[in-house]
Amino acid sequence: MSDVQLTGVHKSYGNVPVLHGVDLTIKSGEFVVFVGPSGCGKSTLLRMIAGLEHITGGEVKIGGKVVNDVPSPQRGIAMVFQSYALYPHMSVYDNMAFGLKLAKTPKAEVDQRVREAARILQIEPYLDRMPKALSGGQRQRVAIGRAIVRQPKVFLFDEPLSNLDAALRGQTRVEIAKLHDTLDATMIYVTHDQVEAMTLADRIVVLNAGRIEQVGTPLELYRHPVNTFVAGFIANHTMNFVNVTPKGSSLTLPGGKTIATTNPQVAKAASLGVRPEHLGLTDVASAQFTGTIEVIEQFGEYALIHVLLADGNHLTVKLDGAPDLHLHTEVHVGLDPAVVHLFDAEGRALRSV
Amino acid sequence: MAMKNQINPWLASNVWLLVLGMLPAFLLLAALIYFTAWAFSFSFTDLELVGRKSVNWSWVGFENYVRLWTRKGFLDALWTTVIFTFFSAIVGQSVLGFLLAGTLRTTKSNLRSFIEVAIMLGWLLPDIVAAFLWSATTSQTGLINNLIITPLGFKPVNFISEFALPVVTIANIWKGTAWSYLLFSAALDSVSREVVEAAKVDGATPFQRIWLVILPIIRPHIATNMLFITIWTFTYFPLIYALTGGGPGRQSETLAIFMYKQSFGTGKLGYGSAISVAMLLIVGALSLIYLRLLREPK
Repeated sequence: MSDVQLTGVHKSYGNVPVLHGVDLTIKSGEFVVFVGPSGCGKSTLLRMIAGLEHITGGEVKIGGKVVNDVPSPQRGIAMVFQSYALYPHMSVYDNMAFGLKLAKTPKAEVDQRVREAARILQIEPYLDRMPKALSGGQRQRVAIGRAIVRQPKVFLFDEPLSNLDAALRGQTRVEIAKLHDTLDATMIYVTHDQVEAMTLADRIVVLNAGRIEQVGTPLELYRHPVNTFVAGFIANHTMNFVNVTPKGSSLTLPGGKTIATTNPQVAKAASLGVRPEHLGLTDVASAQFTGTIEVIEQFGEYALIHVLLADGNHLTVKLDGAPDLHLHTEVHVGLDPAVVHLFDAEGRALRSV
Repeated sequence: MAMKNQINPWLASNVWLLVLGMLPAFLLLAALIYFTAWAFSFSFTDLELVGRKSVNWSWVGFENYVRLWTRKGFLDALWTTVIFTFFSAIVGQSVLGFLLAGTLRTTKSNLRSFIEVAIMLGWLLPDIVAAFLWSATTSQTGLINNLIITPLGFKPVNFISEFALPVVTIANIWKGTAWSYLLFSAALDSVSREVVEAAKVDGATPFQRIWLVILPIIRPHIATNMLFITIWTFTYFPLIYALTGGGPGRQSETLAIFMYKQSFGTGKLGYGSAISVAMLLIVGALSLIYLRLLREPK
């Protein structure tokens, strides 16, 4: 049993509240990602699970046992830090063996566990090296290795990839996913990068200003964000929002066009969200928006065009391939009513179910 | 040539300007070498401050150096210096400075400012003023006797004469801890918080975190600190001289005071020079040990 249960977890520094009551159950073996903008409390929450921050209120349970007052080493967790936090004066081997040696593990077992972890992470050739003689990616592996040898019930990752360059980040991300598959352990992963969240998580926890905004699988969050915050945060390219006015069972868009919707709560709609990938260029007759191209970002496999509408609104449109478009020309943008998101005046999603 | 000009075309293109710029450094170096050579040379003579031998001195070979070992005085003073340096600098200032730096860096209260100002004051006060303060505090009619010893019903103790070396040692700890405190504060700032937290998660007790993680990481800083305070304390003169003059008897006579007394008290400049050369060699040897410590392990 290595599930993690948070019940009404509060945190404040002096009089400043940072977390306003977090309830969350993480199942054994699950890969959960805490994501949110900086300062949202995600790292604090992780550090409270790790035992590095005092829990102001509420309960943290690991494996069914309340651990509020249990010191870190006895919680059955291992943590991978953003800066790797390797002991600079110890070899790779000693870095990984340090915790086991402190726990007075028999020498033969220490050796066996360290070599096993080194084998999994393919860092066997570096065991005698000092951390400073390693590259960033190798250091990150050692840090993960140090976590593995402890055979923890729960792995905690605090933005482990943010110090790596883009290429290595992608590669390490895949390795962490494989590692989760191999070890079959519970993993809690903190990041501000929604790509990492989308690709790694079984479930994503979106945090904002000390509260959970939404918990769900990556696709749930992508398809059914509960509010404008989650809608804007999740997915590679930020969702477009425009104000709408309901008129019967249809909506009036800025610019005067209307779209029909089957959403039963249409009367409460205040804004409409649509992802760049759900917009396309079309002819005048079927277009909902008309504007001029301000910026074209060519990515090769696709392009993002930023369109300035007549009323001052901006739209980002994702087009496959490398479209032959020119700056400052007029384009007509069409959307598919089936994939738009409607939000009320408070920014809450109006579900169509 | 092109590379050279890139560094600083204006300076590098004018040799005379370069020479002029280096002149003060050359002069200083020349003076240093001159005085060292002077002391070294006269350590082989029987030169005296006054009298016949101040003019008609003669070469005596290693006689002064033989005296260091055979006559009473040098070896006693060396031992006193070693005790003084070990307890006031290496144990006192260094350990106290580290403990203060370690405990105060997490506190952000007025207490911290108060303690910092207090230990900085000790450092900033002129030696003579500090000596007067300590003498006034520890004498038979001093503060300690008036406030503690006498009210408790004991006979007043003349600390400065009965415990001369301990009083001098404590005074020097008080005076020099600020340096170690500042150096260790900076050193501890360089230890990553996450590394210490990693050790905590790994199961290290607070003591193990200090002994197995923090201290090894700041080892170069410790060695640097040792290097400085050993050199300073080994040759330290004004505070001890002003406080006890080396006495009573020779109880607090360190090498610096012994040398001063031999050179300018008794007037044996040749012998005094030999003492200073010996001190130079001892401090040099100690420095070498510390410099080895500074080197990173393989």
